[in-house]
Amino acid sequence: MKLLLNRQVLAGAAVVTLLSVVGCASSGPAASSAPSGSTFGVNATGTVQFWARTVSKTLAQKLVSEFNATHKNLQVKLTLTSINDDVTSLATSIRAGDPPDVVGLNDIDVPAFTKTGSFLDLTSAIDKLPYKQDLSPGHMGLAAYNGKQYGVPYWGDFSVLWYNKNLFKEAGLNPNDPPTTYAQILSDAQAINKLGHGVNGFTFAGDCQGCLGFTVQPGIWADGSHLTNGGISNQTANIAGNTALEKALTLYREIWTQHLAPDNDRTDDGTTWGEDFVAGKIGIMPGGYGQVVDLAKPSQLGSELMDSPLPGSNGGYSTFDGGDDFVIPAAAKNPSGAWEFIQWVLQTAQQDQYPNLGATPIRTDVLTPAFSAAHPLDAVPLKALAQGYAPPTLVYDQMFNQAGGPWFQMFTTAVYDGNMTLALQQGQSGLSRLLQQATQ
Amino acid sequence: MILVSPAFALVAVFVLFPLGFAVYISLTDWPLIGPYHFIGGANYSELIHDPGFVHSVLFTLIYTAIVTGPILVVGYAMAVLVRANRRGAVFFRTAFFLPFIVGLATESFMLLLELQPDSGAADYVLSKLGLAHENTAWTVQYNLALTAICVFVIWFASGLTMMILMAGMQGIPRELYEASEVDGATWWQKERRITLPLLRRNIALALIISVIGSFLAFNQFYILTEGGPGTSTQPVVMWIYEEAFVQYHLGYATAGAIALVIVVGIISAAQFYLLRDDRAVKR
Repeated sequence: MKLLLNRQVLAGAAVVTLLSVVGCASSGPAASSAPSGSTFGVNATGTVQFWARTVSKTLAQKLVSEFNATHKNLQVKLTLTSINDDVTSLATSIRAGDPPDVVGLNDIDVPAFTKTGSFLDLTSAIDKLPYKQDLSPGHMGLAAYNGKQYGVPYWGDFSVLWYNKNLFKEAGLNPNDPPTTYAQILSDAQAINKLGHGVNGFTFAGDCQGCLGFTVQPGIWADGSHLTNGGISNQTANIAGNTALEKALTLYREIWTQHLAPDNDRTDDGTTWGEDFVAGKIGIMPGGYGQVVDLAKPSQLGSELMDSPLPGSNGGYSTFDGGDDFVIPAAAKNPSGAWEFIQWVLQTAQQDQYPNLGATPIRTDVLTPAFSAAHPLDAVPLKALAQGYAPPTLVYDQMFNQAGGPWFQMFTTAVYDGNMTLALQQGQSGLSRLLQQATQ
Repeated sequence: MILVSPAFALVAVFVLFPLGFAVYISLTDWPLIGPYHFIGGANYSELIHDPGFVHSVLFTLIYTAIVTGPILVVGYAMAVLVRANRRGAVFFRTAFFLPFIVGLATESFMLLLELQPDSGAADYVLSKLGLAHENTAWTVQYNLALTAICVFVIWFASGLTMMILMAGMQGIPRELYEASEVDGATWWQKERRITLPLLRRNIALALIISVIGSFLAFNQFYILTEGGPGTSTQPVVMWIYEEAFVQYHLGYATAGAIALVIVVGIISAAQFYLLRDDRAVKR
């Protein structure tokens, strides 16, 4: 019976979750605004229910612990949610009319909720923040809808270009001169590849759709282009004739055909992504800042493994503004307490602690000379933050994170099959179809 | 009636009500969040014309057709090997059943690592035997991925079939074999004339479990190929999962789930009918 049970577990869980998601209420909440009075978020009392994804566990636990220790009249109760069902859990709680007071929600998932008026409009409260213009633009963009702001950044998961200083030196390259153009990436990778003895110049997770979206797109943005045009309610695909995209795909095609990356990159679905880099076998790896910090030994960071901004084709740089936004559900019971907690987290005293908790701050004004000296590696994504971006769309997962999605189909056809024309056609038609469905 | 009422109440609360509610959801355009509308059978008519759904159903049928026979044959062969209580039988029973005990998800992750080009054991061993290139990318090509998953599932699931058939074999009275031996029956004649007919109900059970399991296949595809390349190895349960929890089309996904329940129900009923034991019915 276990065969049946094993296979039915996920299917059954899916059905149960599906039923629980939909089983409580019949309509979405009406949009509401945060009170504009001066008492909102000031000297609140009671309890704040805070849901954070498990990926920010260390950060969330530390912040909550410190907040509770210093705010006797307002206590935050933390609940960690699985990264696989945090969206459906939140939707269920909102439908049931019993949502948490504040949520750390994956920023790319925010638009699906703002469109339905599920979150409190925080525009007036955010306008009062003196550092509003310093908040991560990508995070802010994903929480904006129809001219209103429904969230602020919570923590950042940014993409950077990692490189191995030892291998640079061994290959006769300047270890303090990381690549800043596609041509340099290619030539540096070629030089490192020549070292042999199992060393490759470059690596990428070639079967991980999300990883590729996270690391390839910033180069396109650095070149001043995006893959979609327009706001989330009238978006169109911008693939056909997109030279910045073509250059990025050509770079990866060259890397692949010249065998500058390990053969097993083709099947790396992200499970082993970065392991060869921290093992000292790879010269250059576009990846997450926190990803390598988590994988590497502390002694390697800075001395052997170093990061730099992800470059565009011919200079410029950008980063994927990943991570989470703080949002307050419209039916939250203690929105004032939630906003007080959020404001406290956004203060520089708390932001300065982020690097030691494995995260990057989300305020650009935190990047001071003292910060750079204390955290040279984390200063890189923080510097890139001002140029960062994340595509605000209702269908990010469908476009970029699925094996059958148009992004990966386009990448596969261009890079592995070498058919750029067909790849761009597939990308244009695939993205257009999903965007049309989303805006119907 | 009073005696069965607790059981009926449990079935009503945990089976009938959710099922009925799921049917209702499948008749709406239920989104992740926000209002929904009753749309009648529109989801079902869209399903029929949805190339993604149709492809996933066809792929599931192909996958089921490929693995069902070998699971039965291999399971039967293993049952024959270990049914007698001779020396070493317990060891082999355990060894054959172990893959099933460890679990499909764990083994899928292990296989994913072993199928990696360059570093995985599969390419190393097969290349030494001259059966594959040392850098074969198993999980990103349709034929290779399907082959690898089918071989893996046959290895995984045959143990359960072995247990079901072995239990049936051990329940067959020894006198029948002794009488046939007196009459000069060969091993094959005993197998064909005694064992197989008396195992009819066990075979039916093993087949039904195997076919339902194949129709509900998810873990191995989700872990090993994520349905790729493209959606070529996407079984129907993964299609439902992605419609519900990636696309957030909950009403539409539920219609797919209901359609799957109906198809599995029909196939199971057909199997029960075709493999029914007339003598058992008469009793």
